[in-house]
Amino acid sequence: MLSLLEQNPSLRWLGKQLFNREDPAAFFDPLLEKLNPMWVRQYVPARVRSVTDETVDTKTFLLEPASRWAGFEAGQHVNIGVDIDGIRRNRTFSLSSSPRQWHSDGTVTLTIKRLPGGLVTNWIHDNLQVGDVVGVGDAFGDFRVPEDQEPALYIAGGSGITPVLSQLETLAASEYSAPVTLLYFVRTQADIIGARKLYDLRQSWLALTLEIVATNESATPQFLSSTHLDGVAGIDERRCYLCGPQGLMDLAQELLGQRNIRKDRIHSTFFSVPKAALASDDLGGEVTFSRSNTGVTSEGDAPLLEIAEAANLSPRYGCRMGICHQCSCKKASGTVVNRLTGQASGPGEETIQLCISVPQGPVTIEL
Amino acid sequence: MKKLNEAQLNELEQDLNAIRQDVLADLGERDANYIRKIVRLHRSLEVGGRVMMPFGFIPPVFVAAVASLGLSKILENMEIGHNVMHGQYDWMNDPSLHSQTYEWDTACTGDSWRRTHNYEHHTYTNIIGKDRDYGYALLRLSDDRRWKPAHTLQFANYVLLSSFFQWGVGLHELEFERVRRGEISLAEKKGFLKEFFRKGGRQAFKDYVFFPVVTLPVAPIVLVGNIGANLIRNLWSSTVIFCGHFTQDAETFSEAECENESKGHWYLRQLTGSSNFTGPNWMHVLSGHLSYQIEHHVFPDLPAHRYREISPRVQAVCEKHGIHYNSGTFRKQYSTVLQRILKFSLPDKVRMRLEAA
Repeated sequence: MLSLLEQNPSLRWLGKQLFNREDPAAFFDPLLEKLNPMWVRQYVPARVRSVTDETVDTKTFLLEPASRWAGFEAGQHVNIGVDIDGIRRNRTFSLSSSPRQWHSDGTVTLTIKRLPGGLVTNWIHDNLQVGDVVGVGDAFGDFRVPEDQEPALYIAGGSGITPVLSQLETLAASEYSAPVTLLYFVRTQADIIGARKLYDLRQSWLALTLEIVATNESATPQFLSSTHLDGVAGIDERRCYLCGPQGLMDLAQELLGQRNIRKDRIHSTFFSVPKAALASDDLGGEVTFSRSNTGVTSEGDAPLLEIAEAANLSPRYGCRMGICHQCSCKKASGTVVNRLTGQASGPGEETIQLCISVPQGPVTIEL
Repeated sequence: MKKLNEAQLNELEQDLNAIRQDVLADLGERDANYIRKIVRLHRSLEVGGRVMMPFGFIPPVFVAAVASLGLSKILENMEIGHNVMHGQYDWMNDPSLHSQTYEWDTACTGDSWRRTHNYEHHTYTNIIGKDRDYGYALLRLSDDRRWKPAHTLQFANYVLLSSFFQWGVGLHELEFERVRRGEISLAEKKGFLKEFFRKGGRQAFKDYVFFPVVTLPVAPIVLVGNIGANLIRNLWSSTVIFCGHFTQDAETFSEAECENESKGHWYLRQLTGSSNFTGPNWMHVLSGHLSYQIEHHVFPDLPAHRYREISPRVQAVCEKHGIHYNSGTFRKQYSTVLQRILKFSLPDKVRMRLEAA
């Protein structure tokens, strides 16, 4: 019934008049949340159906989003929102299941690895349980499965396998017959994420060649090399997909480039987990104002409000001393240091006061 | 105002910053739970009030409905809207509780409030000529303003302002006194007026058109009930706000003494220009903790329910620096406000003779 307040234009208008908010349906959230957290409208809720261990530090969470969730394509990511100590934290994760599964039973999976020092991944591992509800955003990302029966090569490393799992499952289900090779780099055999799914796919889907390389099990580390690529039949004809840590991606780009594989046939997806700046890091860095498509370099000697003004933007401001919050706006990523407290912010999306925030490393501001 | 030298002001700043740091470091689930609980209570009271109102032909139900809706508006304006718009809960990263997008249940637009209150009033607190909240350009509350015969009627003006407080606050940014003096033209205020009519119209439509019309057979009851609820909110919020800055000992400042002021001096001005009142817990909640106006002015963006907890520490800092901590019972503080309004309605000569007597 509340969805009418979102979809019917005249009811939505009426709702705005009555509840003084742009999302009138969410007015009742505080009450609905207590009755059933799956009824909230402000974000799309998703209930945790099961939690399974993949490796020592990786778990797969089976989620069932509310039916209004718009779905996704294999290889896409979503923002997941969780409340940690009173703070809404949003982080991006790849969906590791196939869209087909979502169409059939309404569930999706997230495969999440603990990051050393990572606030959200560790919290999810330690606290998120069956029956809990998280927020799930619209799917995004253009890491898409190959279309017309083209030979493909996947090079994945570590937890970079997650969108690849979704794509392989999707291709297998579509009876994809062109050759598909996966080179999967893991530290040791115990670190294989989605092992069962991969082995099952190899059994049931003849087009798949699976090669798992344990980099740290021999005397000398086994990194991606020309030898691995030599073993891929007809590599020049393949569409290539890369997903993993930056080092592996750079190496793969270089090796594929040497084989004259065209850039537009190499697709990589890499949303680096934004790194928290170290206290010892210097102030300053690249500042991106995303809405106005402006980028400037900060020397770390001025707050973001002055940086924005110097870049000819005119953000709203008031006291310019951290009291009135007129200049509060959203930081999409990066770390800023609060001039008044000297404390560094988190790395993710959050609200900051421009007049007292100094960038520490690259920062993106929604301005 | 108590005079402190540069070193003392520095020390005052350090002392108050230390309190602020401690609270900031401790923000978390407790604060989130508190504000969410208040928001739930507000939703329950509003839904309850709206549902009961059409049955107001039964007298006790009418009383309950008006009280419920009136309380919901008070909670929403004072403990939720005012505090959320100060950025007290921005750290929660909840879009429904974000300072720059929150829109409250009153005629004044959130944007206008953020400009006139958060920025002007909280930055230039009690500086005569710069803080337009001091007497709302309507009342003469200190001898910094010259007495005029019209001021003899200011108690009646005060009663009117209180009764229609949401509209007074809504029109505050019009700066009508400056328009009348010809300092600014009405054309400059076109943008503001457009927003005022949009928001004010929305509020009037909701309470005085929509809800009465959808309950047509009992429309007059719903209309009267909604007027009553708005009146309760208007009287209470204006009373709380008047007790915050217009009590006997709340000080005023000149532009000259605040030029290029340090943070320490700003703190001192907030401490001496504000006043608290004591009372039971429910009174603090319904005042949006503006009963701790001093703490609020020193730390406008700390969650308000924390003011009660840090009050002893703020008092200790005041004591250490020999600053008067202006507090008293609600009855005492409010009576000094009424006295101030009455006293300054009289010509200076008469007032002084009365004060001497």
